[in-house]
Amino acid sequence: MADSIRAFGTRRAMLAGCLLFLLFSLSACADQTKGAPYHWQWDISFTSIFQPNGSIINGLWLTIGISIVAQLLGVGLGILAALGRMSRIWPFKIVANFYIWFFRGTPLIVQLTFLFYGLLISKIIDWPIVSIGPFIIAKEVFAGTLILGINEGAYMAEIVRAGILAVDPGQTEASKSLGMRYRQTMSRIVLPQAARVILPPLGNEFNNMIKNTSLLYVLSVFELYTTFESRATNSFHYFEYFVACCFWYLLLTTVWAFVQGWLERRFSRGTMPTADIGGPSLRERMLSFRSPSGGALGGH
Amino acid sequence: MTTPNTISHDLLGAIGGVPRPEGDVVVDARDVNKFFGRLHVLKDVCLQVKRQETVVIIGPSGSGKTTFIRCVNHLEKIQSGRIFVNGHLIGYREAGGGKKLVEDKEKNIARQRQEIGMVFQRFNLFPHMTALENIIEAPIQVRGVDRDEAIAMGRALLDRVGLAAKEKVYPNQLSGGQQQRIAIARALAMKPALMLFDEPTSALDPEMIGEVLEVMKELAREGMTMIVVSHEMGFAREVANRVVMMDEGVVVEEGTPNQVFSAPTQERTKAFLSKIL
Repeated sequence: MADSIRAFGTRRAMLAGCLLFLLFSLSACADQTKGAPYHWQWDISFTSIFQPNGSIINGLWLTIGISIVAQLLGVGLGILAALGRMSRIWPFKIVANFYIWFFRGTPLIVQLTFLFYGLLISKIIDWPIVSIGPFIIAKEVFAGTLILGINEGAYMAEIVRAGILAVDPGQTEASKSLGMRYRQTMSRIVLPQAARVILPPLGNEFNNMIKNTSLLYVLSVFELYTTFESRATNSFHYFEYFVACCFWYLLLTTVWAFVQGWLERRFSRGTMPTADIGGPSLRERMLSFRSPSGGALGGH
Repeated sequence: MTTPNTISHDLLGAIGGVPRPEGDVVVDARDVNKFFGRLHVLKDVCLQVKRQETVVIIGPSGSGKTTFIRCVNHLEKIQSGRIFVNGHLIGYREAGGGKKLVEDKEKNIARQRQEIGMVFQRFNLFPHMTALENIIEAPIQVRGVDRDEAIAMGRALLDRVGLAAKEKVYPNQLSGGQQQRIAIARALAMKPALMLFDEPTSALDPEMIGEVLEVMKELAREGMTMIVVSHEMGFAREVANRVVMMDEGVVVEEGTPNQVFSAPTQERTKAFLSKIL
C-alpha cells in the first residue's frame, strides 16, 4: 500500500511539473511574438486560488448550490420519466417520450435562452424571485436551476430506465407476491437495487452538471465562470484568471469523484461479500493504481 | 452448517397459529385457459384445494404446472375461467352480468396476494436486505405491523427454520438451501392462508434439498394449505394429500399419492413416472 501511495505522489508531482513547464514555455513563446510584450501577472492566479475574494467565493457557492439542486431535480424527474416510459398507460408514455425527445434534442444553451427570456418577455411565465430562509434567489438563478434540472432529467431518464431493467424481474414478482403495491415495489425493492447500476453514470452526469452551470452565463448568473469571465474581460488577463477558474472547477469535480466512490460503496450493500468482511478501504481504493480491486476507481 | 434436525417444530406457532380461512375450499379453479400468444398453455384446468390440504402438481416440463400456480396469485393473466381463493375471484372482476372478465384494480390484486404466500424456484430474496429485513419488510410495509413486533415474529420464524444465527447476513452469503428457507419464512410472515411453492428445490444442490423439504413437511403437518409444484416424488408420496398430474396444459390425472404412483390409470402418467422414478 505504501508503495502505491508513493507512486501516486510521484505521478502527481510529475504531472504538476509538466503542466508548469507547459505554462512557462507558452509564456516564453508569447514573449517572442511581435508587438508589445504581454505582462504576466501571476499574482492574479495566485490570489484567485489562495486568497479568493467574496465574489469568487460567492460564485463558487452558487455553482455548488445550483449543481446540487439541479441534479436532485434531474434525478427526480429522471425517475418519473423512466417510469412514464415504462408505463402501460399510454398518456404517461407519450408525455415522457416527448419530454425526453425535446430536452435531449436541443442544446442546453438554446433551452436556457428560449425558456428564460422567451417565456419571460412574451409574458407567458413571470419567473418569480424566491426566498428560502435567509436566501433570496434571483429569478435568473431560479429559472436557470430549474431548466438545468429539467434538461438533466431527460438524460437521467434513460440512465434510470437502464438501471430498472437491470434488476431481476424475479424481484418484482417476489415483492408483488407479498402483497406490495407498485409504489412500494419500486421505492423499496427495485430502485435501491437499480441505484447500484445508476450511480456510475450518475457520477458522470453530475460532473457534467458542475461544468454546465457555466452556461448560466447567458442568464447573467454570477456563478464561477461568469465571475471569472467578467474579471478577465475587465482586466484582459484572461490567461491568469482562467488558470484559477480551471483550478476551482477541478477542485469541485475531484471532490465529487471521492463522494461518488463513497456512494457506490454504500449502495453495493449485499452485492459484494467484501463489503462486510473488510476489503480495501475507500481511501485505499481511491489511491491505489495497482491493486486489482481498486482498478476501476484508481483511474481518476 | 445447519442440518434438518435443528429445525424446530411449530412453524405456524411463530405466526400465531394456523390461518383460518372461511369455508372448506381454499382454492377453486374452474376451466382456466391461458395462452402465451398462440400457445395454449392451460386448457380448461379445474382444481380444488381444501383447507389444510397439500396438493403436489407433477408433470413434464412445459406441462403448465408452474404457469398454473402463477395464475393462482395473478402473476400471470388468464384468458378465461375463474380462480377463487377463499371465495374471492382472483385478479379479475366480472362484468356484463358475469360473462366478461375485467382485470381488477392493482390495489385489490395486491390485497388478495397478501393472503397467498409464494416461494420461487430461484428464491428471489431481496439482495440489499439482511435475512431479517427480508422477512419483516412486507409485514411492516403492507400489513402496517409495528416494527418491534415484526422483528420479534421475524426472529421466531428464523429460529423455526433453523437460521436464527443468520439474522444479519445478506442473501449472497447464504447457501441456496438457507436462502430458500428464509424465502419460506418471508412468505409465512404475511400469515398467508395458502402457500404456493414453485419448484422450490429445483435450483438447489442435492445436499441442500433435504433441509428445505423438511421445512415444507413440517408446514404441511401443521395444517398449512399448500400447492407444490415439484419433481420430488418422495416428498409427494410422504406429504401430499393429493397428487395432480399435468401434461400439455391438461390435468391428466389426480388422486392420492398411492393411486397416482402405484396404480396410475392414464398412459401419460405411466410414461412420465417410468422416466422419473
